Amino acid sequence: MENTNNSHTLDHKTLTKSFHRWFWGALTCFSQEHMQTFGYMASMLPILRKLYPKHEDQVKAIKAYTAFFNTNPMLGTVIVGITASMEQARANGKEIDGETINDMRAGLMGPIAGIGDSLIDGTLIPILLGISLGMSSGGSPLGAIFYIVAWVLIAYFGQRFLYFRGYRFGGQAVSFLVGKQGAAVRHAIGIVGSMVVGGVLASWVNVTTSLKLYGSNGKVFLNLQDKLNSIYPGLLTVLITLFCWWLMTKKHVSAIWTMLILVVISLIGVLLGFFNPGLSY
Amino acid sequence: MTINWLQAAILGLFACLCSNSCMAGQAVGNYTIGRPLVGGLVCGIVLGNLQLGIACGVAMQLVYIALVTPGGTVSADVRAISYIGIPLAMVAISSQGLNPLGGSAANLAKSVGTLVGTVGTVLYYAVATMNLVWQSFGWKDVHNGKLDKLTAVNFGWPWVSHALFSFLPTMLLTYYGATAVTALQTALPMDGIAMKTLFTVGGMLPCVGIAILLRQIIGRVVDFIPFFVGFTLAASLHLNLVSVTVVSLMFAVIVYELEMSRGSKPTNGTTADGPSDENAEEDI
Repeated sequence: MENTNNSHTLDHKTLTKSFHRWFWGALTCFSQEHMQTFGYMASMLPILRKLYPKHEDQVKAIKAYTAFFNTNPMLGTVIVGITASMEQARANGKEIDGETINDMRAGLMGPIAGIGDSLIDGTLIPILLGISLGMSSGGSPLGAIFYIVAWVLIAYFGQRFLYFRGYRFGGQAVSFLVGKQGAAVRHAIGIVGSMVVGGVLASWVNVTTSLKLYGSNGKVFLNLQDKLNSIYPGLLTVLITLFCWWLMTKKHVSAIWTMLILVVISLIGVLLGFFNPGLSY
Repeated sequence: MTINWLQAAILGLFACLCSNSCMAGQAVGNYTIGRPLVGGLVCGIVLGNLQLGIACGVAMQLVYIALVTPGGTVSADVRAISYIGIPLAMVAISSQGLNPLGGSAANLAKSVGTLVGTVGTVLYYAVATMNLVWQSFGWKDVHNGKLDKLTAVNFGWPWVSHALFSFLPTMLLTYYGATAVTALQTALPMDGIAMKTLFTVGGMLPCVGIAILLRQIIGRVVDFIPFFVGFTLAASLHLNLVSVTVVSLMFAVIVYELEMSRGSKPTNGTTADGPSDENAEEDI
């Protein structure tokens, strides 16, 4: 950052304010039509006020941010930082107009949404939750507290880092996400995610059958669950999960319909004696 | 266990903070307060049974371990799961006299929570639709150059949407729902077909959550292998999740090194760091 006492240089305080507005308000005024547009405008407001002393310039500048915007709100912070630096360049008379800024935003929001959804929602949070669930078994609040502290710290400082990185490096800030190294890191994290998800499934979900076949002498000659365990522990759990995956991925059944199909399977299983949760008062 | 008006109102407030277009910011609101595990902690404290609250939260968190909302479409609503579903499940479990830490209590919680969470998506769309009103105020302000009012549009007015579609439904449903859930106990005997099915479904519902996650992370059939390795480590070798994570880091390092060396020239220096998220960002 140059340290000229130019009025067109954003100071740390203004940038922090803009970041906080995004952190707390990216999705407060959400609608299906405009999604994060208003969160974006609200977080650019401190920047525009600082860069353009004249009110009519502010009004002109904000027009660039009225276009539709939606991305992963965590990783998307980097885009807000990039626009802050672009807006500063525009205020300093560089050849950047609202359209350039908008093209950048529109070009980045798709890839960032895809990477963010799989990296954060699909990998980081399940790993954190998986570990926390283990700590909370037996009704202990420890896991919940661990999740709150760990996640909020990662989210706050991670997003702050992304914002300032975006501001400092402009468009190059995302190269580490979409470049070769970014792809390698994502692939590596994906391995961790897949294995932990497998571990979560095995540790926490246990679909079992109560099917037992009795011989003429009243003794059990087939305990299906024991047989299945000797083949591969957790076989039924994995099969049900793969079945759900197959329905949703290959047959494009929605999550809600998949759940309803499970209700039907359970009902039939209960009627046939295949499933029995073994409850009584 | 009953829920009084004050408790119901506190739950309603948390519902405003955490739903998908949440008043406490996405990271703190939706991703922290909204997660069923944290919801279990809050509901446990508010309703005065911490252990039961956490147990319900853990059970429901499994179903919703992956709550990815691509393009703003939701299949379940966190405010309904965490602040309507968990309180009602807690009432149901304690009125059935089930052991809060038992598998049956967990399965009941999953069924109640999933039902409420799915129906609760209507609240999500209601809030998002009502926000269109505030956004129309906002467009007018932008048009007339009243930029100062944008702050109120983004941070103030949406509270009205949440008062109507988060606070009120949560307060009313937890207050009156608790009575209904208790009454249901006599209507549906535990050893009847309906309850047996409900509990069996509860046991299977996390499979849907995991499957949603798999849809996200599995591109090719071979991607199933790390998933099965993780499953086998836990199911057959009985490793806990931290241990599974440590083992997986080893594979992650190998994958990272392989991918980085695949290019034309050898990489220098930067590959030494572990493949964790934070390191990756600081590397360059």
